[in-house]
Amino acid sequence: MRETLNRDTAINLAILALLVATAIGAHLAGNGFTVTLATKAAIFGLAGVGLNLALGYGGLISFGHAAFFGIGGYVTGILASHASTGMPVTSLPFTIMGSNEMLGIWPMAMLAAGLAALVIGALSLRTSGVYFIMVTLAFAQMLYYFAMSWPRYGGEDGLSFYVRNTFPGLNTFAPIQYFAICATLLAVALVFTAVVTQSRFGLALQAARQNSQRTVAVGIRPYAIRLTAFVLSGMIVGLAGSLYADLNRFVSPAMMSWHMSGEIMVFVILGGVGRLCGPVAGAALFILLEHVLGGISEYWQALLGLLLLAIVLFAPGGLIGIVTRRGRHA
Amino acid sequence: MPEPKLNEPILEIRGLRKSFGALVATDDVSLDLRPGEIHALIGPNGAGKSTLIKQIVGEIRPDAGTIRFEGQVIDTLDAAARARLGLARSFQVSSVIPDFTVLQNVMLAVAGASGAVFRFHLPALADRKLTEPALFHIEQAGLAGRHLVPAATLSHGERRKLEIAMALALRPRAFLLDEPMAGMGLEGGRQLTGILAELRNEAPILLVEHDMDAVFALADRISVLVYGRIIATGSVAEIRANPEVRRSYLGEDA
Repeated sequence: MRETLNRDTAINLAILALLVATAIGAHLAGNGFTVTLATKAAIFGLAGVGLNLALGYGGLISFGHAAFFGIGGYVTGILASHASTGMPVTSLPFTIMGSNEMLGIWPMAMLAAGLAALVIGALSLRTSGVYFIMVTLAFAQMLYYFAMSWPRYGGEDGLSFYVRNTFPGLNTFAPIQYFAICATLLAVALVFTAVVTQSRFGLALQAARQNSQRTVAVGIRPYAIRLTAFVLSGMIVGLAGSLYADLNRFVSPAMMSWHMSGEIMVFVILGGVGRLCGPVAGAALFILLEHVLGGISEYWQALLGLLLLAIVLFAPGGLIGIVTRRGRHA
Repeated sequence: MPEPKLNEPILEIRGLRKSFGALVATDDVSLDLRPGEIHALIGPNGAGKSTLIKQIVGEIRPDAGTIRFEGQVIDTLDAAARARLGLARSFQVSSVIPDFTVLQNVMLAVAGASGAVFRFHLPALADRKLTEPALFHIEQAGLAGRHLVPAATLSHGERRKLEIAMALALRPRAFLLDEPMAGMGLEGGRQLTGILAELRNEAPILLVEHDMDAVFALADRISVLVYGRIIATGSVAEIRANPEVRRSYLGEDA
């Protein structure tokens, strides 16, 4: 048991090292574009890590996590645009001013995404199976159409904010420095997930996934456990959305579309459901394929589909499962 | 929690009734489980034993009637809350967490019983408040040395023992065992009979069982359920001699 744990840790570190090495190598070679690709992989990986907490460890197949990604993005975009105009976001019930400081924006993005996850989770977790998938999807689509029809913040055109938000002591415009911020947050989220999933709470969450009735019979309410996991998951994805908005200096309703929910799910499945670094590997592979295959043909997603099919059929443990040669995780 | 008075029932079921459409699955059932006893619940297939168990543990709500546990009315409590009060249950088909080790399964039960599940920080496997009681109950249930084995790879008999270890971890005030002998071989059944005989020292047992040898060997009292109705309650000798029971269930050769 300990041996496999160590091997898992080694693989997790190797994945992160590879990502960081790619970014640093590209930076030294003066290839800012590749640094940005690595940053995108880190951000998508972070979103996948967030979804993995609910989907992988909790067995909650949410098809609506784009909602939290988009909320994190919109909070960032809205705060940044108000910071540039100097107008308060709202003055009721209390005044919220715009902000262009990441350290202020991130908690707001996570708070908003967490609150949304609390409401969506509280309702959708009363269902299970395919209904849960549909209810989460429906909520995300509601938010998507709301953003589409909200002219104040760009409606379907989206919202640009031109200047990337700031971080004390760093030049966030330098691609490698922004990568460092994203990679650090990714590492923090990974440590957080590792700790939480091994805690009592994590034990209960994984038990509820495997055998809900048994979990109840030892005095644990799966609903409360799952809702907590869903909220934590939404908050991490919200943070990823905030970083993604800053990466592009642009948010649009597309961040909340079912297409985005599916992509986050693909990161998790490609890398390995319920594996700590699976979503990071999955997101990196996704970006790589998008870039390499996308350069060859605009139909690259057909190949992605084939790859996904192969993984689901022949390697349900995803990339990480192939490397560790274990189909399941404990 | 106040100690119940001597011989006051731990579990007291009064006038329980449950119907599914036209089918009356539980028909005015009253039943006691007294301290220290093994009370067997027998009856033909479809008599409503499982439905009755599900109402006691809180999985389904009765249409009428009331259930007291250690003097407290538990009708409005959900299944998790009843388990935390010490109503420990085993399942007809062994029910464990397959990808967890034996140790993790029992740790889950210890954590559940403690009521403190929302701990996010300390690794569960390093939490001696979980591991120590868990290892103790694993040994108690006869699984010593098997604690690092994944539950999915246990034999049927071992999985039964794991369920008992999990029940013990709830610091039970009463056991509800749903056909624990099902699927056990002759030797396994004999072993389990020994374990159940010891379990009664922890808490009284309401035992749903088809294996009449085990029932007659273990039970202090027997209740016979037929078509959702209890047709007789009494000692082993009384039940064996009861003509109605012989006719409707035991058959003439019993």
